[in-house]
Amino acid sequence: MTHNLGRAALAAMMIVCAGTAKAQITTFVASPPRKIEPAQQVAAQQREKVAQDSVARVAMTGMKEWVDSASAALAIRPDTVPTTSDTAVGTPRAATAPAPKSDSSASAGTSERQPEFRNGARAPNTATPIPVIGLAGVVLILTGMAMKPRERTARARVRR
Amino acid sequence: MMGGLPRHPLGGRRAGGTALIISGALLLIGAATSVARGAIARDAARARWAEIEAERAVAGAKLSAGGGRWSEARGTPVARVVVPRLGLDEVVVEGVGNDELRAGPGHMIGSALPGDSGTSVISAHRDRHFHALGGIAMGDTVVTESARGTVVWRVSRIRVVNADDPALDARTTPTLMLTTCWPIRYLGPAPDRLIVEAVPK
Repeated sequence: MTHNLGRAALAAMMIVCAGTAKAQITTFVASPPRKIEPAQQVAAQQREKVAQDSVARVAMTGMKEWVDSASAALAIRPDTVPTTSDTAVGTPRAATAPAPKSDSSASAGTSERQPEFRNGARAPNTATPIPVIGLAGVVLILTGMAMKPRERTARARVRR
Repeated sequence: MMGGLPRHPLGGRRAGGTALIISGALLLIGAATSVARGAIARDAARARWAEIEAERAVAGAKLSAGGGRWSEARGTPVARVVVPRLGLDEVVVEGVGNDELRAGPGHMIGSALPGDSGTSVISAHRDRHFHALGGIAMGDTVVTESARGTVVWRVSRIRVVNADDPALDARTTPTLMLTTCWPIRYLGPAPDRLIVEAVPK
């Protein structure tokens, strides 16, 4: 009895799943493709062509907008924004010059903020501590050497 | 062992003196290392500039004045500045950060390249590459070479401004501004800036 029930369930499964498992079930006969009238086919092709055209057009528009937005973003970088006096002086470079290469490779190792030119900028800081460091070194060495003879003098004094 | 000498005061002085000498030596070594690194970077910049000039000569790729967009990575040699009377001859690198100024005079990012229309700003340390700039005089000749070509300039203005003054102004005509700290011989952070302006001859 249970045998029969199992076979029946298997047969039911095969029938139900025949649509999705048509490659395996040879008894499944797929319905023939619907015949399409030539006129309908032409209309469908035209619709598809128009759809492709419109898609291409949309893509091109998007590209243009992207380029525009990218150039606008470059133009309004804080370090290249022309000040009011820039406009007054009329320097095309400050307003239109491209931002220098983002030099991420060059500045990867340093987080140093570089001054950039704009109208009314301060002269770059060209001070260097090297002379002071050198002088401090010389002073320390001289002081240290000055302490040595005193040490010898003190030794001699103690011996006496 | 030492004949019963009291070692405490002598030992302290001795140790103090030795420590001072060592500290001074370390400071000197640090300063010398920085100078040496600068010299190495300067030589590298000069070598790279020579390569760039050779490549340009071979390719004939000189950009016409005002043409092309200028952008270069920091530290790349972009120009050469010569003041014949002062014997100043330096390769200019892009950027005015510490690393760039160690290698040579720096071209301020965002300013025009010498030979372009607009203000071109070149800065350097007063105790290294622009030390000779203290002797500049009105009418002196400055020569620059860059991708825009060779330009001969005449010094038209020399001024000393406070370090915080907004002294660099954008112009539409080609202008070269050489800047460094002022006074040239000064210990510590110099309070002023020397700005030498030049116009094409």
